[in-house]
Amino acid sequence: MKRLKTDILILGSGGAGLFAALHAHKAAPELSITIAVKGLLGKSGCTRMVQGGYNVALALGDSLERHFMDTVEGGKWLNDQELAWALVVGAQIRIRELENELGCFFDRNPDGTIHQKAFAGQSFDRTVHKGDLTGIEIVNRLAEQVWARGIERLEEHRAVELIKTADGSALAGVLFIDMRTGAFVFVQARAVLLATGGGPTMYKYHTPSGDKSCDGMAMALRTGLALRDMEMVQFHPTGLLAGPDTRMTGTVLEEGLRGAGGYLLDGDGKRFMLDYDPKGERATRDVVSRAIFDRIAKGRATPLGGVWLQMSHLGPDNVRKQFKGMVERCADCGFDLAGGQVEVIPTAHYMMGGVEFRGDCSTELRGLFAAGEDTGGVHGANRLGGNGVANSTVFGGVAGDAMAAWVRREGDWRAPDETALGKVSARIRAPLSRAAGDIEAVREELYDLMWQDVGIVRDAAGLGRALAALERLDARLERIGVADGNPAFNLSWHDWLNLKNLVLVSRAIAAAALARENSRGAHFRSDFPAPGDLVASRYMRVRQGGAGQPEVTTQPVVFTRLKPGQSLLGDAAE
Amino acid sequence: MAEFTLPANSKVVPGKTYPAPAKAGRLREFRIYRWDPDTGANPRMDVYQIDLDACGPMVLDALIKIKNEIDSTLTFRRSCREGVCGSCAMNVGGTNTLACTRAIEDCAGTVKIYPLPHMPVVKDLVPDLTQAYAQLRSIEPWLKADTQPPDRERLQSQAERAELDGLWECILCFCCSTSCPSYWWNGDRYLGPAILLQAYRWIADSRDEAIGERLDNLEDPFRLYRCHTIMNCTKTCPKGLNPAKAIAEIKKLMVARR
Repeated sequence: MKRLKTDILILGSGGAGLFAALHAHKAAPELSITIAVKGLLGKSGCTRMVQGGYNVALALGDSLERHFMDTVEGGKWLNDQELAWALVVGAQIRIRELENELGCFFDRNPDGTIHQKAFAGQSFDRTVHKGDLTGIEIVNRLAEQVWARGIERLEEHRAVELIKTADGSALAGVLFIDMRTGAFVFVQARAVLLATGGGPTMYKYHTPSGDKSCDGMAMALRTGLALRDMEMVQFHPTGLLAGPDTRMTGTVLEEGLRGAGGYLLDGDGKRFMLDYDPKGERATRDVVSRAIFDRIAKGRATPLGGVWLQMSHLGPDNVRKQFKGMVERCADCGFDLAGGQVEVIPTAHYMMGGVEFRGDCSTELRGLFAAGEDTGGVHGANRLGGNGVANSTVFGGVAGDAMAAWVRREGDWRAPDETALGKVSARIRAPLSRAAGDIEAVREELYDLMWQDVGIVRDAAGLGRALAALERLDARLERIGVADGNPAFNLSWHDWLNLKNLVLVSRAIAAAALARENSRGAHFRSDFPAPGDLVASRYMRVRQGGAGQPEVTTQPVVFTRLKPGQSLLGDAAE
Repeated sequence: MAEFTLPANSKVVPGKTYPAPAKAGRLREFRIYRWDPDTGANPRMDVYQIDLDACGPMVLDALIKIKNEIDSTLTFRRSCREGVCGSCAMNVGGTNTLACTRAIEDCAGTVKIYPLPHMPVVKDLVPDLTQAYAQLRSIEPWLKADTQPPDRERLQSQAERAELDGLWECILCFCCSTSCPSYWWNGDRYLGPAILLQAYRWIADSRDEAIGERLDNLEDPFRLYRCHTIMNCTKTCPKGLNPAKAIAEIKKLMVARR
């Protein structure tokens, strides 16, 4: 087994990972920093895929308080309010770094200031953007800075396990597969950042990139860490519906389309959102997703089983200009977004839940830090569109600063548990020597059961069914091998590993969803449709039990700044 | 000097042919370049018959179908599946493009798929992009401004921002560079269209204060002037960008400052 050492090891090259690397490098240039990523640096993960943009209170009339209130009310008061406050404050700092230091050039107002557009669920037009493909700009600029600084890269290196010390008291490093050769690599590090991004790709319709498979959360669960809010999976209401066999299905059509005045029509051509919410199409993602799901359940679906998105009443030329990227994406699949109607379906988009972490991004495991979609607590029960990339960049930067300081102060080298290294590598290699099985059938079954029973509308019977089915799928995977014993760039082997992680995290989602007997934000229980007492709110904490099963406990939400019903905004500001 | 004989193991030989599925509706043949560095064998072209009635519309859908259902050893890169990351750039039907946004219907006859031309191959359809990234770094693609920025964003007009349209959308898939005969021939010294488009993105940025330095860095018979306006880059760009125009703009600035 190849062995490497680095002071700071960062898992993931999205907004969180790249920002962490840059901040750590700036804070402590003498430290060696390594970014390890499953694909190519800056080309994998979801920050690059960000369309809409970046929420930050910049404009006259907007304020930190407004952004905070929108975030906490959107999160149905489940947020960790200190993290939510850090988000809105940090976003103001980060946007200046992005523009003035990294060179991002966001769209402008006529007066030369940054343009901000309307996003759903917000009391102010606060979403900074570059056209309708904002992520390309952010990740390209971040990646260039990382290339410039000689930060070490381990590309196409897949993290498979967090390896603790023999006494289990701290993290020693991370075990990887070098995907190009298939060989194991152990990287010892004084501090490790978990920033692989979540990515709910266990659902039939999903937006994240195909390489996302909840690896970070799965590793955290296997290492014994606590995850919170796992039942909170956000469905974006307008995923492209292009037919069953194409990877394009599920790809997201951005929120700004509804923000700009797009209509949703059911299979009968009837505009329905106003029947569900006075904000109509501009209601939050959870409300719109449930309304669409309801139309479909009532038999009002379009030919492919979704609803129509219509923009043409805003003027096709205008739509083409304002949403160039989206119009082209639809055209790639043969749809005319500007002038016609496009079939859409709610699509699994983001996980509000994740590893519990502190304000400095440290976790309960010494030496392990976490940031971005791998973490939980910032968004509560529902994430506002535009708060995702703000979260990853804000806390990525925080983590970089904190890791640099921590390594200088007390970050020691810790020896890995050699027995664990041997056991884990044997477990990971096991499918290579088993007879090949139908991995894709497992994936299809996972897709369907998560969509049906752990999706937009849930109940106890369905969740119980799902938990049993997930346990069976896990056992089935343990019997299945991959066809080609050669580990070098063996995509099927990685499919197997991806599925193992997805099933594990799916079990955490289903268990948390079963435990939450009320309906909040993204989580809706048809058998418990009321939100429950907000003041007595508790959040779900999941850990992996001894036999691999998820174990849920509940923790009280501490309202450190405001209680439900209170507001930071004076009457004048309302 | 130029080498006129190809290395012995570089000849592409016929490979395996997988039979057509029974009861197929619309059959389409895919011929795919395969090479495994571990075996020492020559690259080969494997042949697959795909029923388009049971396959998604994009070339990436077919590749995934082949890997999942016919031949799990097939290796390719892919991530976003929506034309944003550039991971699945490859040569399809003689054109460099993204497998995820290229419709099978738009390919005539047998769909022949190779890795991006003239790049070292890691395995099958996966190219090694190390040199292209090193070249990107060489143009110092980041904002250079000595003037202290305000404590807010730099005020810029919409027209200044619009100068970057057609440039910032580049996803660094390298379809253009690997379609360029000049880059094939002099890829070690010519920067190629992808990198030059990025270079111009910074030259055109109204906030950047290092235009002179950037042009100095490009003023070289090879780095810039190996562009002979062949225009393959513009023709092949899967994002509809025009690297040739960006290169021409740089050349114009070179002339203007003489």
